[in-house]
Amino acid sequence: MRYARLYFEDVQVGDELPALVKGPIQQIQLTRYAGASGDFNPIHQDDEFAKAAGMGGVFAHGMLSMGFVAQAVTDWAGAGSVRKIGVRFTALVRLKDTVTCKGRVLAKSSKDDVHTVDVEIWAETQKGDKVVSGKATVAVPSRVQG
Amino acid sequence: MPIQLNHIVGKEYPPFAVTVERGKIKEFAGAIGDLNPFYLDDAVGRASEWGDVIAPPTFAITFRDEQADTGTLLRDLGTDVSRLLHGEQEFEIYQPLRPGETYLCRSRVVDQYEKSGKSGPMAFVVRETAVTDRHNEIVAKARGITVVRL
Repeated sequence: MRYARLYFEDVQVGDELPALVKGPIQQIQLTRYAGASGDFNPIHQDDEFAKAAGMGGVFAHGMLSMGFVAQAVTDWAGAGSVRKIGVRFTALVRLKDTVTCKGRVLAKSSKDDVHTVDVEIWAETQKGDKVVSGKATVAVPSRVQG
Repeated sequence: MPIQLNHIVGKEYPPFAVTVERGKIKEFAGAIGDLNPFYLDDAVGRASEWGDVIAPPTFAITFRDEQADTGTLLRDLGTDVSRLLHGEQEFEIYQPLRPGETYLCRSRVVDQYEKSGKSGPMAFVVRETAVTDRHNEIVAKARGITVVRL
């Protein structure tokens, strides 16, 4: 894990973010996330409930996967750097799945001494299923203007 | 037969205040397994540009109120939690959320539409929440799409 400062000048369009591997997902993590987030939907806790609901069993909160990709972004660009992050939840994460978060720089821009970088972000399981995909914008310091 | 939902575009929920607790930030970061010291370590926070720890980017999802939560939304739509999926989520962050601060949250339903997916007909309900600080400055906006399997 690194928390080195990312400078605007050091980022190039097309750069890939370091991959962040999370999991394997265990029930206890979903229970912790329920408590921490306040989302106690039993579909993430109770296998019988999830099966009765037609979901084939327990699956992870989408917001947990979003938390993972947000971590991939802040591990790279720094805590507090995220100005915008948006994702679509495209497949379910199941117990024992490993979630690998990835990203790539799409664009850079500077306006009024604020230097921002747009990245595409996504996460996939060990089976290759894309579970979230979206974009984030981070503001990072410049070596020139500090 | 697919179920019929009530149409609730324009519905506004009562504003609610949330005071961010230091322990809640740490609990939330810990649940994600994000051990960034800017969230977890008070000394690192004190020495930072913010003067304290800050919350991770998705923390505003913890801002809930019984009068404005997903349970209320589902009741307004006329359905229940077993049909619920999370479709999309977005946060715009103007200032990191900080411990000890009290924020005001205002949520409203901005769109509602139906589509047929590979697993059958689904309704999409778009909610936006504006988060302001004690000076009435906007610090964050959240936009979420709730999916109901019809």
